[in-house]
Amino acid sequence: MRKINLWAWFWIFLGALYFFGPLYGALDFSLREKRGTLSLIAYQNVLKDPNFRNSFTYSTLIALATIVVGLLLIVSTAYWVHLRLPQARPIVDFITLLPFVVPAIVLVDGFIQIYSGPPFALTNTPQGTNVLLMFGYIVTAMPYMYRSIDAGLRAIDVRTLTEAGQSLGAGWITILFRVILPNIRTALLSGAFLTFAIVIGEYTFASLLARPAFGPYMVLLGQDRAYEPAALSIMSFALTWAAMMIIQLLGRGAPGQGQVAVAH
Amino acid sequence: MTHLSLSNVSKKFVETFAVKDFNLTVERGEFVSFLGPSGCGKTTTLRMIAGFEVPTTGKVILDDVDITDKAPNQRNVGMVFQAYALFPNMNVAQNIGFGMRIHREPESAIKERVAEMLALIHLEQKGNSYPSELSGGQQQRVALARALANRPQVLLLDEPLSALDAKIRVSLRAEIRSIQRKLGITAIYVTHDQEEALSISDRIVVMSQGQMEQVGTPFEIYNFPQTAFVASFVGTLNTADAEVVDPAKKLIKIDGVQLETAEELDGRQKGDKIKVAIRPERLNFVSVEKKANVLDCTIENITFLGSVVRVQVTVGGNRFNMDTFNNPFLELPKIDAKEQITCSREAVLVLKN
Repeated sequence: MRKINLWAWFWIFLGALYFFGPLYGALDFSLREKRGTLSLIAYQNVLKDPNFRNSFTYSTLIALATIVVGLLLIVSTAYWVHLRLPQARPIVDFITLLPFVVPAIVLVDGFIQIYSGPPFALTNTPQGTNVLLMFGYIVTAMPYMYRSIDAGLRAIDVRTLTEAGQSLGAGWITILFRVILPNIRTALLSGAFLTFAIVIGEYTFASLLARPAFGPYMVLLGQDRAYEPAALSIMSFALTWAAMMIIQLLGRGAPGQGQVAVAH
Repeated sequence: MTHLSLSNVSKKFVETFAVKDFNLTVERGEFVSFLGPSGCGKTTTLRMIAGFEVPTTGKVILDDVDITDKAPNQRNVGMVFQAYALFPNMNVAQNIGFGMRIHREPESAIKERVAEMLALIHLEQKGNSYPSELSGGQQQRVALARALANRPQVLLLDEPLSALDAKIRVSLRAEIRSIQRKLGITAIYVTHDQEEALSISDRIVVMSQGQMEQVGTPFEIYNFPQTAFVASFVGTLNTADAEVVDPAKKLIKIDGVQLETAEELDGRQKGDKIKVAIRPERLNFVSVEKKANVLDCTIENITFLGSVVRVQVTVGGNRFNMDTFNNPFLELPKIDAKEQITCSREAVLVLKN
């Protein structure tokens, strides 16, 4: 028994070393801009850079739009599939996996081919290109968002809860917003944060559509600076971890989760 | 006065009829159970009343209004589900008040009604609890209160006790019946448990393969089953092939032994093959000399069931069960002993098919 515990700890240590080693390396490097001492100069330089603020704000806004529109599209699709078209689930599963198989470069090229000319001509204006970028991100994030929402819906009895709501006089929209969505809150949050993490660092779409996003900014910065890209990597990690912690905290507080039924 | 009626209702899924030519009228305040095995169409019929399924043909009329094509949320019908279906994100009080909030009733009225419902189900202290903090029985009582809070015209219960353990099932079914009587609400109850249906209902609809086999009071269903299916499904029953001897005198023959029945044999001819049934509790050992309805038998097995002792006997080529009350001072026959059993003419039931 004791032997097994020691082995378990050994593998955990090895895994942690593999994961945290490079992270520690990047952190240490990011703090060594001033020779011979540890400092936050690289972080200050990044935060002072107006291009950082602009690109980060832009990507955050695009990420929020992607989350809102993506959730609307994917939640309603997944809900309908669970409720009325369970036989279509394999097809929907396949479609949502396509962005894994089709490279982003091919996808964005297809987008440009179709939407840069009439009748859409979206790339003619910055707003149109922003919309195109947002839909591109919805497609890119779809495998994660759909799977996360699908898992949430599988965890509850969608059909019976919907029918219970209907028998009490509620319509589809009311049931979706007051019964279904609150019960898949954790799944929605994890879908949203995964989408946020993908959009914030995405390069190909933003670069080929020539939008001032955070991904291209990071690449540009890496070309002519040494310490700042490392500082940016650490900041990105911190942001992602904060998002994960928020998912955990909100999920833990969800009513009806993790509580044991008492005896009659 | 007819409150709910289903006329010529059928439901076809692809090529198969789940329900076929279903006709039923339910009086106001009546408690009607749909009883049958899995796949007999009882839940589909209930779902057509609730509006979750649209009949392929036929009409559903509630209080003289045709609700056949109305959406479920447009019908004033309360439903209790087997899986409780309480909303996990809402506490008990919010669950019960959900329907009233949907109908935009004043908050004071909702609060009052929720308190009334909590008192009705004896869970006054649980208003702030979440469903996951309640036992199965408590959750189902909350589901019942939630369905009743809206003052529905009909209460539909889809196997509401199936997920509960035996003891709670018995106490809760009595509670459901008592609440239904108290409120005078019309209730349709789906179950595959014959004991549940017999104990709770004003009338039972026995269903098989999408069709009604028999409609009647629990007393009629149990004592006078009209078909072989009802006879075999409700209670334990001895069935045997018989032959008509004299239709006028109501005489039949089982394995050469002549029996008299109280049932009419109109339309039957001498020599016609029929199926008869006798309840195990209607059979007795012959204690005094008797000439009619006496069957020679061999004791095959004796099973002690607590208050009842079940004796298995063979009569010619038939095997019959005979139930007698357990009496510790009465000597039971030995296995393989030759005995005589008898029953009254009223106990010999002639089945329709």
